[in-house]
Amino acid sequence: MPQHKILIANRGEIAMRILSACVRLGHGFVCVYTEADAASGHVRLAREQGGEGSLRRIRSYQDASEIFAVADATNATAVHPGYGFFAEDFRFARRAETRDRPLVFIGPSWGVIRDLGDKINTKRIARSLGVPTIPGSDRPIFDEMEAVELALTIFAFQREQGIAEGCVLVKASAGGGGMGIEEVYDLDAFRSAYRRIRNYAKRNLSDEGVLIEQRIFDFNHLEVQVAGERGGKNAVHFGTRNCSVQSLGRQKRIEVAPGFDAASIEYAFDAGRVLDAITSHSVNMALAVGYDNVGTWEWIVTPKGEPFLMEVNTRIQVENGVSGVISRLRGADRGEARVDIIAEQLRLGLGEPLGYTQADVSFSGVGIEYRVIAEDPSNRFTPCLGRIERFSWRPEPWLAVSTQVPTAVTGEPYDIPMDYDPNLALAIIWGADLREARARGEAFLDGLVLEGADASGAPLATNVAFLRARTQTLLHF
Amino acid sequence: MLNVKEMLEELKASPYEEIEVVTPHTGVIQFVGLKAGDRVAGPGGKWNEKPGSVLATLTREKNKKNICATQKGVVTDIAADLEGQFVEAGVRLLTIRHFLSKDEVIARILKKALYLFCAPERAKYYFVPEIDGKIKAGGEQSVKPRDGMEMFIVSRMKRETPLAYSGPEGIIYAVYFQQGDNVDGGQPLIGVCQESQLTLIQDVVNRVQGEWEEQD
Amino acid sequence: MDIDKRTQQLAARLSYIRDIFGPRENASVALLKHRLEEFLTCAPGYGMRELQVQVGRLEELFSLLEGKLEGELSPMDRVRIVRHPQRISLKDILENVYDNYTEIGGQDEWSIDPGMLIARATIARRMGKQTVHQPVMVIGQEKGHGQEFRNGGSIKPWGNANALFYMRVAETENIPIHTYVFTPGAFPVEDYPGAAQQIARNLYVMAGLKVPVVAVFSEGGSGGAEAIALADKRLMLSHGYYSVISPEGAAAIEGGLKNKATPELIERCAERLNITAEDNLRLGFIDRVIQEPPLGARPDNYEFFRSLRREVIRATDEVVHGAQGLGPLRALAMRRSKVGMDPQDIFVRWSLRSGARDGLVARRYAKFRAMSKSALRDNRTIGTRLAVGLARVLWQVHSLLRHDIFAKYKRRLSGLLEQWEAELRALGLGLGSLLGRDGSGTRLGVPKEALSRLTSLSCPEEGACRTEDAWVYVSPKSREDRTVTCPNAASHGCQDLWAPDLYGEFAGVCSHCGHHFPMEFQWYLYNVFDFAHAYEFNAELESGNPLHYEGFDLKLAEAKRATGLGSSCITFETRMQGIAVVVAVLVNPFRGGTVGAAEGEKLIRAIERARIKRMPFFMYSHGTAGIRIQEGTCGVIQMPRVTMAVRRYIDAGGLYLVLYDTNSYAGPVASFLGCSPYQFAVRSSNLGFAGPGVIRETTGVIVPPKYHRAFSALSRGHIQGIWDRRDLRKNLHQALLTMGGSNLYYR
Repeated sequence: MPQHKILIANRGEIAMRILSACVRLGHGFVCVYTEADAASGHVRLAREQGGEGSLRRIRSYQDASEIFAVADATNATAVHPGYGFFAEDFRFARRAETRDRPLVFIGPSWGVIRDLGDKINTKRIARSLGVPTIPGSDRPIFDEMEAVELALTIFAFQREQGIAEGCVLVKASAGGGGMGIEEVYDLDAFRSAYRRIRNYAKRNLSDEGVLIEQRIFDFNHLEVQVAGERGGKNAVHFGTRNCSVQSLGRQKRIEVAPGFDAASIEYAFDAGRVLDAITSHSVNMALAVGYDNVGTWEWIVTPKGEPFLMEVNTRIQVENGVSGVISRLRGADRGEARVDIIAEQLRLGLGEPLGYTQADVSFSGVGIEYRVIAEDPSNRFTPCLGRIERFSWRPEPWLAVSTQVPTAVTGEPYDIPMDYDPNLALAIIWGADLREARARGEAFLDGLVLEGADASGAPLATNVAFLRARTQTLLHF
Repeated sequence: MLNVKEMLEELKASPYEEIEVVTPHTGVIQFVGLKAGDRVAGPGGKWNEKPGSVLATLTREKNKKNICATQKGVVTDIAADLEGQFVEAGVRLLTIRHFLSKDEVIARILKKALYLFCAPERAKYYFVPEIDGKIKAGGEQSVKPRDGMEMFIVSRMKRETPLAYSGPEGIIYAVYFQQGDNVDGGQPLIGVCQESQLTLIQDVVNRVQGEWEEQD
Repeated sequence: MDIDKRTQQLAARLSYIRDIFGPRENASVALLKHRLEEFLTCAPGYGMRELQVQVGRLEELFSLLEGKLEGELSPMDRVRIVRHPQRISLKDILENVYDNYTEIGGQDEWSIDPGMLIARATIARRMGKQTVHQPVMVIGQEKGHGQEFRNGGSIKPWGNANALFYMRVAETENIPIHTYVFTPGAFPVEDYPGAAQQIARNLYVMAGLKVPVVAVFSEGGSGGAEAIALADKRLMLSHGYYSVISPEGAAAIEGGLKNKATPELIERCAERLNITAEDNLRLGFIDRVIQEPPLGARPDNYEFFRSLRREVIRATDEVVHGAQGLGPLRALAMRRSKVGMDPQDIFVRWSLRSGARDGLVARRYAKFRAMSKSALRDNRTIGTRLAVGLARVLWQVHSLLRHDIFAKYKRRLSGLLEQWEAELRALGLGLGSLLGRDGSGTRLGVPKEALSRLTSLSCPEEGACRTEDAWVYVSPKSREDRTVTCPNAASHGCQDLWAPDLYGEFAGVCSHCGHHFPMEFQWYLYNVFDFAHAYEFNAELESGNPLHYEGFDLKLAEAKRATGLGSSCITFETRMQGIAVVVAVLVNPFRGGTVGAAEGEKLIRAIERARIKRMPFFMYSHGTAGIRIQEGTCGVIQMPRVTMAVRRYIDAGGLYLVLYDTNSYAGPVASFLGCSPYQFAVRSSNLGFAGPGVIRETTGVIVPPKYHRAFSALSRGHIQGIWDRRDLRKNLHQALLTMGGSNLYYR
């Protein structure tokens, strides 16, 4: 395979993992950073691995022109968006591919990102393939009569399901970010909510379309890690994850692979069949749309064991490592050939074939990922700014921690930059079974030293205690 | 009490401000033939609608932009070796020595006299919409902060919380931050002038008007 | 008269002549100067008798040479005459032409706009032994012999609004209106109601005024003149000028804005623009010229006032006569009066009978409709012309049958059916409740297939993936790999936009702040108006060079070559989601979207088409710089012409909707665009009467940077809304369903 030079258009922990993967695969790399991030671990690592020449300071990670200008100036041949920023921006991918000096976009091709980036489209594609989706409309509703009819049907559907208090979700189809969305419990409330949201959407989004869906309260959030090769002919999955431990704002805090563990826990439904169903649906859909990189199919599973496809994330995810740690290729020994999903992404993105089939993928043990964050779980998970003075843990063979906080390596204090998300570190723990993984997780958290002070001098608030408290309930529905 | 005379003397001893002009983003730099010692003009026109003198051009992705002077002054030090180079964001291009104008001198002296309400922590600060509207319509001095009045929105890590003013009652005399820019903890946000200080402030203004000679 | 006074008068005459002839060398002027100086130096030596003789001789010489100089007047000299402080003003006319008057629009500087003078005046006429005082409304600009507060007759919007108000009063009172045009142009401020909007309103109302209007031109400066000059009879003083733009303005445009225009260039422009009374009479934009004394009328030329009086009376008589006819004897007398009889002696009642009032408006329309016909190039063959004429008649018949006769019965029938049905329903309901069926208590049952609809693909025929809003026409600017900076970047923090995204998918709209970058007219034609399936008509009418303006043929040919169009106007019929509409587009790249005779004619024909075929009419201004100055008054006359067509169309019940884009200024905005009751603007467009540069040049005022922005215009009340470019189709369709007059059959 020809050598590539990959521009890493991201920061922090993911930039570091991509960088390491580049080095492992023998590719060159270029890192970008902003002034606020000058002390970040990814800058240190880039300097260490590639020298000053592999670093460029830019104005913002969100300015696409900066990325492409640096790519041209450093002769980069490919660009890896990481997650966030440009990861699911089909226009960025399209620009990379169609500009005068094209760059390989490490991710699905832009058409796929565009189609699956739209939740309505995703729902329609899923339905056309018989993949289960949340009951409700799969296109914007413009007509009140139709909307009322739909709401009526959803209420009836919920009664039939034995749901005592039916609830319908009304949202603006062009909306997002929690604006223009309401939940209603009866038809009268629905009518007024529908009109309110339609007017809101007309005024603020200049699009009157409204979506109407069943609101599902109690569910587990599962994901299927999929990987497909360029051309979209072959695809495999690397198992499932359960991401149900979340903060108030629906931000994931702990992820576990596999998604359910029927060996350790009793479920009210056949967990194995649910997992089989969602993995096969995900891979089938990936093949049907010609999915050509790594991606995640997000599902919700109700207490009765019904899965519904929610959306598809056309990117690498924060929690990819937890799937990697339980996946084995061609039956290799445990602990040996765990899959590096970022490296797979790079390989596939640069055009290599998959080289194996689903039969070559097996799973072993349980993985837990903790997101260590400076925040105050007791106060609505408010992020805490400050200076990290001590950050260390005991290294273990079953533990992998990735962090951009340089304190962990150099011991120097580190000011948490306020411009970016407050993730400090990801810890991935592997155990032969759920019990062992939990015990190891707790051991890790007990041995973790994370100290510092916030702006007012008080001790730095972290979510370590929260993570520890939730460890025992993992995978329980 | 404020010793205006002394402060004026102090400012007269070094009546300049050094303004570093840095690249806003990456790109290829081309200077426009300025030499150290050349004069440049700041933004002009009745509404400051005319940009200042062009100092250099920055070309990124086939888009050539002018980098203009934000203040009038004299060019002192040009990083001429950057000519034609691809530069990173935030690289110093040249320095402008700007002779303080009367208004700037007044602002500097008043900063010592006014009650300064400071940012409690590093964050982005905004005025609440109501006050923002008032300032846009009637100028800074149309707002009269009272203790406990909700004036600011603090934005940190994408979370917004309100911030109330605390301090003496008065009128806003100066705003020291740009809405949406990061402000370090302890930096002043606004300067508030108490009723009793009005004569003092008038005195400062008169003195500076009389004693400070503007230079180009 | 004593000698001193006579010599003083001679000196004044000389200085007037020198003012008029400006810096030019002229043998006659030099001679006069020489003779007068000679006389003045010798005078102390002359005796009384000798002085008398010498002064008499000098006076004769002056008169002789003034007559000679009269023949040498260049157009620019005439401009200097009308601008001279000694030029007769409206007050002089009120004093000398009318028998009595009362100012009603304010007094001197105590007026909402001292430049606009409004008065009720009377003209006394003999009816046998009896004297009849005929009332008229006199409206005109007062230059006040240089009085500062008159603003040189440059009228502010509220001045024109005041004039309009009193025109309406005259209409109510059924008395004729005499307007006197003494303006270098309107004062280009946008304060409410806005210079352009007000002129447009004036034109719109005057197009339908049901009383005789007679206009007299002395200084007719473009839009400012039109505001009161849409008249049944248009007279012109022989030394006046009537022009699309001041010669200085034309020279500034010709010479480029950078370098100051030289006097020679200004002279040349004045000549090329065909601005004199003679020119305008030849071109047919005025009806008669009123001869002034040599070198122009001044307040003491009483003979001139007498002839002016005769002419305005005769003009008013003729208008009345045209509208309602006179007794055969008086008609004969009137015809003879042209030979020299004083029209004052034949009595004509000036208040029109109600039957004649509509006829007056129709005649006015026909009069303007016939103007500037030959100022364009009609490339159609005789066959097509005949066919078009025939089609027109057929459509008229068709509309009459379909919309007037058939539709009326259909409406009645469906109304009846509706009533019966409602009755039957009421009966059914009543019966239902009698039978004990309870309609309210039942839960609406949900059929089984509805449940499956919740989880299966709806409308599978649309395919799984909804197609993106792909534009039919994609701008060529989107093919270049480069980035573009949004002008709001500094204030809104917009990042650079990638040209293929911006000009392709984003339709030229900044994805961060919503700023609209200009797009090609083709973008609108194909993406908004579905031009691919439209029927274009009158493409063969092309812009010409009616005044043979030097060098313009070349520029015109270049514009035609570059755009592939014959004029800056495209007119076509198209369908907006099934509704047939007539659309006219003013294309910016063709000579800045300027309007000349061809554009005006195309617009009128499009409007008439919409009227006859009962279609809504959209006017999209992709940008217009104003009236095409190289066509002189042939251009400026399009303002009243097209506005009258619009008025007729709206009165007939049509929907006329205007959409502004990029930059729309001057004449068109101040007439047929600005008179629409439904005006909208595309975001980030600018509109107004005069651009910032022109305002600075003419008034010395520097306007704030966003003075002409659509949002400013919206808050001033000029336009009714601002639309996003990407939503134009939707908004236009919505407009079709919600706005407009009575003949929109599709509702």
